[in-house]
Amino acid sequence: MEFAGFDRPRPSGGTLTATALKILIAGGFGVGKTTMVGTISEIRPLHTEELLSDRGVGVDDLSGVETKVATTVALDFGRITIREDLWLYLFGTPGQDRFWFMWDELALGALGAVVLADTRRLQDCFPAVDYFEQLKLPFVVAVNCFDGARRHDPAKVRRAVGLDESTPVVMCDARNRASVKDVLTTLVTHAVSRR
Amino acid sequence: MERDGTVTDEDPGPLVRLYGLTGGRARPPGESFDLVAIVTTIRTPFELPGLNPEHHAMLSICRRPTPVADVAAQLGLPLNITRVLLGDLRREGLVNIDPPQPANQTIDERTYRDVLHGIRRL
Repeated sequence: MEFAGFDRPRPSGGTLTATALKILIAGGFGVGKTTMVGTISEIRPLHTEELLSDRGVGVDDLSGVETKVATTVALDFGRITIREDLWLYLFGTPGQDRFWFMWDELALGALGAVVLADTRRLQDCFPAVDYFEQLKLPFVVAVNCFDGARRHDPAKVRRAVGLDESTPVVMCDARNRASVKDVLTTLVTHAVSRR
Repeated sequence: MERDGTVTDEDPGPLVRLYGLTGGRARPPGESFDLVAIVTTIRTPFELPGLNPEHHAMLSICRRPTPVADVAAQLGLPLNITRVLLGDLRREGLVNIDPPQPANQTIDERTYRDVLHGIRRL
């Protein structure tokens, strides 16, 4: 048995505050969200299948759950420890449109979002861009440069997606740690500058 | 407490079995809480009827204030199930679950610098 929690130094006169910041990784299906979370997470990223309850209707019995078996949603998340009392959590958002309500919860109070885009099917990132624009949640568009994908000029991507000038567009490789770090630092800086 | 294979299988059967842990409940009792709400154990009862091993593991983990998502990661449990079980512990008065402050209100200059530094040194 560990009792580490009781031994931690606490700021004098205050309660211990621990803060977890959320960053969302969004984008179309197969664009590299899971890869990006896995590249940067210090824990083995948890890929969970969430069973969804019917919202608004009580499902306090197992038979109710069984009827919802088909409704599962995949969610990936990873963690970066910043300080002993401060963590960044990366959530790879469900790609399917019918899970928008899950986005609402994930986005609530989030620091910002990375919209991963693939230039071969740029339109796949439009729903995420629209969503974060409406929510006024700071985001960056990160173009995942797959092998064989044509390298695009960020300005062209900005025009094609219809982004305003303040939203950063960066090229990245979701498999490369240094590259993902650049994306995240760009997002954090953008989020702080937007306040 | 890894449950490899049980939560990622295509067949949803194992997931339903995991819901046995929650008595079939898909949502936590009481007010809902965020995936990064901070859970802190207030007290650990020697014995309390109705607590299963997962509940006890959560009480042990949350002696150190821990975000909900991390409790799930450490136990290898789906987030929904973790939330239901944490809701039970809250109802019994065994844990506090503090809602997270919105990031745009909590990030001060020092936190911002720490976050940047933390990402860069990875």
